[in-house]
Amino acid sequence: MRKIISLALPVSLLFFLSSAGWAQAPKMREQLVYGLNVFNGRGYGGGFVPQSEDTIYLIAEKDNAISAHMTLVYFWPITARYMAAWQTLNEEVEGTLEVLKEGKVIKSLKKRDNCLYYPEGYWSETSILYTDEEAIKKFEEYKKAVEKFYKAVSDYYKKMAEYKKKLDKFLEETKKLREAGKKLSPEEVEKMMPKEPKEPEPPGFYVTEPRKDYIVNLPVGTYRIRIRAEDGTIVQDSEKKLVVFTSRRRGGVGYEIIPGNRWTRRESCDDPARIIYAAGKNTLYFRPFHQDEYNELYYNKLEDPQNFGREERWRWVHIKPIKDVLLVFLKEGKLIKKVENLPYYVKQIPGPELGYNIIEYKKEEMPDRRPTFEGYKLDLSPELAKGRYEIKLEKKLEKGKFLEGGTRQIRLVRKENSKYLYPFSIFPLVVGIVVFIGRRIKTR
Amino acid sequence: MKSIHTVKVLMKRELISSLYGPGIYIAIFISFLSSSFILKNYLDSIREDNISISSDPLNYPLFISVIVISFYLAILSAISISRERDQGTLEVLFYGPVSCPSYVLAKYFKDLLLYLVVVGFLFVYFWGVSALTNLGFSYGLVQAAFLSIFSVSCAITFGLFISSFTNRVRSSILYLVGIFLAFLAVQLSHTILLGMPEENMPSALIYLGNTLSIISKGVEWVSPFSYLSRGMDAISLGNPWLYTMNIIYCVIYSAILLVLSTLVLERKGVRG
Repeated sequence: MRKIISLALPVSLLFFLSSAGWAQAPKMREQLVYGLNVFNGRGYGGGFVPQSEDTIYLIAEKDNAISAHMTLVYFWPITARYMAAWQTLNEEVEGTLEVLKEGKVIKSLKKRDNCLYYPEGYWSETSILYTDEEAIKKFEEYKKAVEKFYKAVSDYYKKMAEYKKKLDKFLEETKKLREAGKKLSPEEVEKMMPKEPKEPEPPGFYVTEPRKDYIVNLPVGTYRIRIRAEDGTIVQDSEKKLVVFTSRRRGGVGYEIIPGNRWTRRESCDDPARIIYAAGKNTLYFRPFHQDEYNELYYNKLEDPQNFGREERWRWVHIKPIKDVLLVFLKEGKLIKKVENLPYYVKQIPGPELGYNIIEYKKEEMPDRRPTFEGYKLDLSPELAKGRYEIKLEKKLEKGKFLEGGTRQIRLVRKENSKYLYPFSIFPLVVGIVVFIGRRIKTR
Repeated sequence: MKSIHTVKVLMKRELISSLYGPGIYIAIFISFLSSSFILKNYLDSIREDNISISSDPLNYPLFISVIVISFYLAILSAISISRERDQGTLEVLFYGPVSCPSYVLAKYFKDLLLYLVVVGFLFVYFWGVSALTNLGFSYGLVQAAFLSIFSVSCAITFGLFISSFTNRVRSSILYLVGIFLAFLAVQLSHTILLGMPEENMPSALIYLGNTLSIISKGVEWVSPFSYLSRGMDAISLGNPWLYTMNIIYCVIYSAILLVLSTLVLERKGVRG
């Protein structure tokens, strides 16, 4: 008993101490951190590199914006990540960014103007980094477009006020005419009715305000970076390892699959060796993408320097949606159906019961809405024979020609047979009994 | 030449005895029962989610089956030498043309051949499961089954090594189970400590975590089950280099433990 108590006491003390530690408020530490705006294969993404990360990962031969800041960093136990208190402290570190290869300085970079251009609007994933004069020019272009839009909005409100007046007048006139006993044909009403002004559309693109960063564009390799202050000294804690990498394979075809019964939990099927197992009645929406394959660790760290990954693993990254193809559904080489890419809208079911319907998006029926997603809808009805199926992507312009790497196998599992799994496990015992009886007969 | 003949005779005698006994069939049955449990849950999850994407859905159930069989074979080999020593048959055997290396090799090859019989059962079971459920019998599964021969070889030699320095059956089993539990405890506590944020951990736990990290690295090379899990990892990564290296490590591990078992047996003698 004494032994148990003597063992249990230090263990419980250890856990008490550790839990007491967790209850403390996060400690803020002033750190030099790097801010990133890096190319991720399809556009640009941001992130920050705290002192805990000693390596920065970048894609080769692309412009990447890097900046150094002094800020307060704290550990957030809920997400197990370091966070920056930018609003409390955010001081830019001035100086020259030196890039070293095998101990020799190969580049000394000064800060340059840069901005991000989103050709399909702020929420799209595609973005282009512009530098120097081009960045200023692009931002001016955006500013002009915004000013033009505001002027159009102001004109629209004026026209709208006039329209409302005209509409009131029109209603009064038609009322008088009706009271006077005159009957108006729909064509006459249409002719008399004032035309509603069209609401102006905001600029379809977005440009961020130009800022000054170090623009790093390097070939594949391992480097070191550091900041040399204006007085010639190296800024403390500014030294980092820099891994510049590229894709292993390009031009693959990957799929994002949206199951109809849980559209927010999307699945990926990027490797042709992976099989799609489906059961029961379901609708799957396939979204094909062009994809490039990157080292998992490098790419995860590129997306967020505090991410994890394995250096020996590779991952496909969706680059651009594939359009101008038809999704072909086959069984043992025989065509079952061809599916078109269509826009869909997720409509919440009104009322207390939770749920939604995925309906085909039609602009004329929903002018004030935008499609939730686009995809190739495939209905897997329970009438389909359980077996192996295939999907392929047929080029619209070249009939009968399929996109390389776009084939995936779909298997409809026989879930009803799962009840036979336990009885099937007995067969080794049956073999054992047969062997035993055989031996008994032999020895007799 | 004489030694090879001795190995063959001893191996054949013991293999037939094992095949006529109920133990191996019960072990295979338990392993298939465990796999069926996992497969049933997997099928239920597909039924709930309506979709699952996987390249080798049968690999994990196979992994579980192999773990169960490995454990059984490790116990079988752990008691093999100590039982004969305990009963005195080992001494009798060594009056004949049996040497320590031929004796240890016979025990090893008997268990390995026994596992090859199990591989046959595994293929029948997983082929049957694939036909029943339509889950793919993939190339990855064949790769995993092939790899399992080498990882089971590690488990067998580990058991033989334990058996070589113990005199009684009970102590062999206790040693083996105790060591496996210790491996498990190290791995589990290391995983738990890894999940805790180092930032807010008291220094005592940080030191404990660092120590466990070193011990855990050692366990990864000593525990025979780690070789199987690393190999399965290589298959899921699709990395032929890691896969081949893992097989080579298994061969080296088995060879080292066979040599050690022989040396311990020679030193300890047949009477213990």
